[in-house]
Amino acid sequence: MSGVWRIPTALALLSLVGLAAAILGDGVWHWICWAGLFIPLAVCAAKLWRQWPRAGA
Amino acid sequence: MTPASLRGWRLVHRWTSLICSVNLLILCVTGLILVFHHEIQHLMGEELDTTRTEGQAHLPLQSLVDIARKADPALVPKLFSVDPDDAGANYIYLGAPGLRDFEDGRWVVLNAQTGANQVLKPPEETLTGFLLKLHVDLFTGFPGQMFVGVMGILFVVSTVSGLVVYGPFMKKLAFGLLRFGRGPRIANIDLHNLFGVATLTWAFVVGLTGAILSFSPLIVSYWQNTELTAMAARHAEPMTGTPISIDQAAQAGQAAFPGKDLAFIAYPGNNYSSDRHFSVMVRGHTELTKRLLSVALVDAETGKVVETADTPWYMTVLLLSGPFHFGDYGGLPLQILWALFTIVTGVVTVTGFIVWVKRPRSRTAGAEERSISGSKAGSKA
Repeated sequence: MSGVWRIPTALALLSLVGLAAAILGDGVWHWICWAGLFIPLAVCAAKLWRQWPRAGA
Repeated sequence: MTPASLRGWRLVHRWTSLICSVNLLILCVTGLILVFHHEIQHLMGEELDTTRTEGQAHLPLQSLVDIARKADPALVPKLFSVDPDDAGANYIYLGAPGLRDFEDGRWVVLNAQTGANQVLKPPEETLTGFLLKLHVDLFTGFPGQMFVGVMGILFVVSTVSGLVVYGPFMKKLAFGLLRFGRGPRIANIDLHNLFGVATLTWAFVVGLTGAILSFSPLIVSYWQNTELTAMAARHAEPMTGTPISIDQAAQAGQAAFPGKDLAFIAYPGNNYSSDRHFSVMVRGHTELTKRLLSVALVDAETGKVVETADTPWYMTVLLLSGPFHFGDYGGLPLQILWALFTIVTGVVTVTGFIVWVKRPRSRTAGAEERSISGSKAGSKA
């Protein structure tokens, strides 16, 4: 797989697993759902945080 | 991919996104608040009173229907429905006698244990009702709902075409690179690409399920006019005797599907049933199976189940679209994640629009696009 698609594919799979998990059950399934959907958002936040222009940078 | 087909995909992405962008922003803002509709209704005192005493039995369904009829004695019961998330709330639809459709009727909501009648305010008079109407049909009824559905399809095409153009554009760029120092257009392109690709799966699923839900009147109507009508036509004997009570119909229907809960009952003589049969619909208990319905056709004269069926695939798709659009199946953490995804989708919409507004208008536009997409920047983010 091309490098362009490696991370987007991983995030897409995590999102899919996250979306599906909570409908399949409670307890651990909910945690899988929350984690799977949290990671794509966390990646956005981390990229934004690390590259946000700061005064004096 | 050839340059010509890439140009085509770019055009598709640009115009599908632009056409649906205003409606998408309305959907994002209203959807963001509606994710927390239970919490808002609780805060504003708009919740239904479904308090229950542990161990106390529900009132017989016939008693609840009799109470509901007092709200408007000129009307007759057409549907009896049980809230899937709170069996303490029962909804009874009253309509004009002799009519098969559901025009000009009204819903009555009752506490299943006490029979307390709870007045449903018109949607415009509650915050969540107002936002829901705006979200679903822009206050324009069926045409508005179809319009929102078409916008949903455009959004789905926009996500797919966005994915197609993402690859060639990012060929020489590191994932998540944000070039804030190279002007507002490049910064917005990079934000659009990062947020768009990271949340694309969620956006695709929520957009697609939203479009399916928008077309629900057509889907349900097709089910009524084909499968339900055919089911009723196989048992077309005329009604001659006294009909059984709704409790007997419910018991017979539930006995046909052991272990399942009552979802709703359609009285004989409307679009969900036949002239002689109750349609008793049941659902399962789990997060998944409580979304899926099975139907038992119960003879209103003999009390016997004459036929059972599961819903066809397109109704299953419609019923399963609900949770994947509302994000109400994984507790408060999922609602919060849903809200954050909605905000990010709004940002993707706005940044995409800014990129279009600030597009290069000279003949050197193509050269500039090539420059933006990587020849001058490839550092790791």
